[in-house]
Amino acid sequence: MFFPSDEANWAAIDGAMFIGWGSMLPGLMTFIAAVICVAVLVIGQRSEVAKAKAFDK
Amino acid sequence: MLWENDIPCFIFVNGPSWVAGPRLNKAEKGTPVEEQLAELAAQVAALEAASGGSVTNTMFAETYYYLTIPLMIIIHAGFLAYEMGASRLKNVLSSGVKNILAFAFMIPTFYFFGWWIYFGFPTGIPGAAGPMGISGVEYANAIAWGWGDSAQYMGPNIADNISGVFFGAFALFACTTASIMSGAVIERIQTVGFIILAVVLGSFAWVVAAAWGWHADGWLVTKFGVHDFGAAGLVHAVAGFFALGVLINLGPRIGKFNADGSANHIPGHNMPLTVVGLMLIIVGFWGFLMACVVPPGEAWSWFPDKFATIYGTPITLGSLSFNILMGVAGGIIGAWLFTRDPFWMMSGALAGIISTASGLDIYFPAHAFVIAFSAGIILKPCADWLENRGIDDAVGAVTVHGTIGLYGLIMLGIWGAGFPALAIDNAPTISLVGQIVGAVVFFLLGFVPGYVVSLILKMLGMLRVPEGAEIAGMDAVKVPAAGYPEWGNDAPVTPAHPAE
Repeated sequence: MFFPSDEANWAAIDGAMFIGWGSMLPGLMTFIAAVICVAVLVIGQRSEVAKAKAFDK
Repeated sequence: MLWENDIPCFIFVNGPSWVAGPRLNKAEKGTPVEEQLAELAAQVAALEAASGGSVTNTMFAETYYYLTIPLMIIIHAGFLAYEMGASRLKNVLSSGVKNILAFAFMIPTFYFFGWWIYFGFPTGIPGAAGPMGISGVEYANAIAWGWGDSAQYMGPNIADNISGVFFGAFALFACTTASIMSGAVIERIQTVGFIILAVVLGSFAWVVAAAWGWHADGWLVTKFGVHDFGAAGLVHAVAGFFALGVLINLGPRIGKFNADGSANHIPGHNMPLTVVGLMLIIVGFWGFLMACVVPPGEAWSWFPDKFATIYGTPITLGSLSFNILMGVAGGIIGAWLFTRDPFWMMSGALAGIISTASGLDIYFPAHAFVIAFSAGIILKPCADWLENRGIDDAVGAVTVHGTIGLYGLIMLGIWGAGFPALAIDNAPTISLVGQIVGAVVFFLLGFVPGYVVSLILKMLGMLRVPEGAEIAGMDAVKVPAAGYPEWGNDAPVTPAHPAE
């Protein structure tokens, strides 16, 4: 489905050989990965602050 | 040698004077560039012929493989630290003894018959020869026995430098499977019973899986297009589910479960040691995955000029570098999100690699990151699910290696569908159905031998130590030394997590 050539043969590949080359998939995955990184930091900060508040005098 | 006659690489021709390296002499200045290049090419060809470029390639290719062996031994340093750290004080040395001894038994048993099984049965039973001409019982008899004519390939031989190096790398894969099982069963298993299980796993069960699914003649590859480049299924899942079969018969540690079935957390004596051990396993994984790559240009290589997977499909070391790093990162981040626990974070790193291992050769790095992240997220819930069913897996090995190994296989079936599984015309292609078939086969190749052999050992009284010995501590029973003779008691046992 995401083989970078219409012909399912490695002999047809002489450059990029990863899943989705030539489609939107790599760019989409890069975007999703970046969103994950940001979202995890946001969630992490919120929960850590909430837990730290429990120790405030 | 390339600098001989004062003619460097052509990029320096007529370059600025600050460029380091020899320059053209005055007589050559003014000569047309084309002539200089032609002369250079002729000289390079002559030098290659004179200096034996093929010898250089041979040395590189053999050394490449050779270096995977000490790198993979780092995996075992990691497993050793990780298991000992996860053990209570009273069991710390016996856990180490068990791990070290398994490593030692893997090597000779893999030499005696594991290597032979790998080459003998890729096409299945009874071991017919495959189309690539590197499999079948007859072939295995000729190269993989330590006696008769075959012994020439199983010992030092000037005409065969590579067989021993390949053997070493594969033997270390075998050791890895045993170490995966070893962590799950700590603090209550008998040493000899464990070694028997380790031999069955490391020198038989995973080898059959490798022959079938990690060999260009393997029937899972030729018939179903199974692709498992980094052995997520045939090493990790086989070992993880072998451990599950053993754990069912072995039973939980005393104190692990309460009368109402709820689980307790039995803390190991040294979390930092465990976490560093897990990091060492990650280091060793680079050697493990490096050994999944075949260098070019040799009689035993797939290509004259390209690195290849064990299936003969192309790969680059850049693929590994991109995707292993992204896998490790994704797994750690995913595990941190919900656990905040360094043990699970580093287990997430392993899960990140394992979940992408099947397709490390063909994933896009961000894609590998996303898959690894998802593996890091599902890791702890999967381990809790298993624990709530009465399985005491002391280090989460069944989940990290078994469940995530199969998850990785299936993920590649979804995303990698349509990729040729071999580098031949009309090759079988990767498919979801094929990867599921592979997952089922690898699960059975792990679980069934693990369950059956441990059941037999249990019936023979060779599986579990007596209750009194377990309470006293395995070190007192098995080891004439103390891990920390001047220090400490076990930490209190606490509830693990809410029961379902």
